[in-house]
Amino acid sequence: MEPLTGMGVLALMGAAATIAGASEDLESDVGSQSNPNSQVQLAPQMMYPHRIYNKAISGEPPSNALMCAIGGTVATVLLGMNASVILALTIGSLVAAMIHGTFSVSSHLGRIASQNRFKQPLYLDIVKSHTPVIIAYSFITTICILVISYLMVVVLGHPFPLPLLAFIWGITIGAVGSSTGDVHYGAEREFQNVEFGSGLNASNSGNIVRKGESGVRNGYDNSWFCAKFGGPVTGIAFGMVVFLSGWITTVFDASKSAAMGWESVLAGVIIVIILAIWNRKIEVAARNAYGTYKEDQDAEVAA
Amino acid sequence: MIDIVGALMDNIISVLLITLGGVLISWSVHFVPVGGAPAAMAQATGIGTGTVQLAAGAGLTGLITAATMMGVTDSILLVLASGAIGAMIMISVTMLVGQWSYVYGVGCVPSSAKVKYDPITKDRQDLYVSQGTEGHDLPTVSYVSGIIGGGLGGIGGAMVYYYLMIIENSLPATELVGIASIFAVGIFFVNAVIPSYNIGGTIEGFHDPKFKKFPKAVISSLAATFFCAIMGVIAIGGL
Repeated sequence: MEPLTGMGVLALMGAAATIAGASEDLESDVGSQSNPNSQVQLAPQMMYPHRIYNKAISGEPPSNALMCAIGGTVATVLLGMNASVILALTIGSLVAAMIHGTFSVSSHLGRIASQNRFKQPLYLDIVKSHTPVIIAYSFITTICILVISYLMVVVLGHPFPLPLLAFIWGITIGAVGSSTGDVHYGAEREFQNVEFGSGLNASNSGNIVRKGESGVRNGYDNSWFCAKFGGPVTGIAFGMVVFLSGWITTVFDASKSAAMGWESVLAGVIIVIILAIWNRKIEVAARNAYGTYKEDQDAEVAA
Repeated sequence: MIDIVGALMDNIISVLLITLGGVLISWSVHFVPVGGAPAAMAQATGIGTGTVQLAAGAGLTGLITAATMMGVTDSILLVLASGAIGAMIMISVTMLVGQWSYVYGVGCVPSSAKVKYDPITKDRQDLYVSQGTEGHDLPTVSYVSGIIGGGLGGIGGAMVYYYLMIIENSLPATELVGIASIFAVGIFFVNAVIPSYNIGGTIEGFHDPKFKKFPKAVISSLAATFFCAIMGVIAIGGL
């Protein structure tokens, strides 16, 4: 393949991955999934009933992997029946999103019903209003992952079948989303009642903020807030993973010679070193900007 | 009728090296700094997700790059190196952006509660741990540990895939890729789950006292992957 064509396809994949990452994180915020949901689950037990959608179908990687694998399988079947690519990917994503919506509703109803003893009400308006948003976000995530997988198989000639690639990227996007954007939801949005940067004292567990900017807080409010930072950074993270992991093998094409293959490995090592240095710079800047949380007892004793 | 003994004897190298790949994956998971739900609330050092989730996310990204490389070359060293690089890029990016979230979104300083000084940078840690928490974010030692874990996991996953692909069989190439990749993903998950019992939700990296428990997980993985490898060889070799 022409290097320029390869780079164009990679750019398209990176763009799709960025959108997928952002929508994956916002889907987990509006429905409350993954690790921060432990606090939403805990709140009624600590006598803090709330109006937040509570769906933890599973960890984000398995739930996204299931969604993307379903979409990939349906799309592959339709492509085998000579359907157009756009139709096949759209119908596949739609089926996956609807199934995800079914899981979301059953998960939410089951969790809230189990908290009946703590007097946590089941708000049907929350179910009716939030579920379509969850389905819409999961549709965007799935179709973007299917576009990435389809381009990898058909244009870049990746040996894995489409559903398996969709499955693996589903695992990866879930891992990225629960590691990056969810922190903004779990550590900041849920606990805006404590001072910024104070960390979360274990004694505050379950005491999540339940009042919104207007009225009582729900999943929409969380999605609105996280769309300002958590969602975009997740998008950047997944976009970088897809782009950089493909870039090294596209620019340094190992099919031309083994030496080019080793150059791609070297390029990858250099990228990792740059990222590690960047991380160190952030660490030093944070230490200097925020300072310590407590006095240095050792220094006082020595003085 | 499948000649089970014959298939195993013909592919004994594959059985042994698939097992080694599984052991590498199991060992690698101990390096990955994960803090589970507490880390997602900035209550513990590490990435705010589960052990299996992050290790699998990184290792399977490595599997994608390794499979790309295997499609164009027969060099095992190149395939293993590509697997390692793919996984290292995924975990480096995830940890870096996770660091953005903690520092810019939550306002916490990277710190470890398990050591007083970072073994790599020699920076003081205990003063930067906020009240009522077990540290937060990713100090340099955890970041480096995560990169090592990602690299080892990528090598392990690529090794499993490579030696499944060279099992003697009469399958068409596309079907062989399909079945070998599914087996590789399955073996990866088996070995990503086993160390979770050692880690118990949170580990900061190779400087964490829990890291010393890894021989137990490695021995368990050796036994589990050996049986997986036998099944893989019989299933693929018998087709």
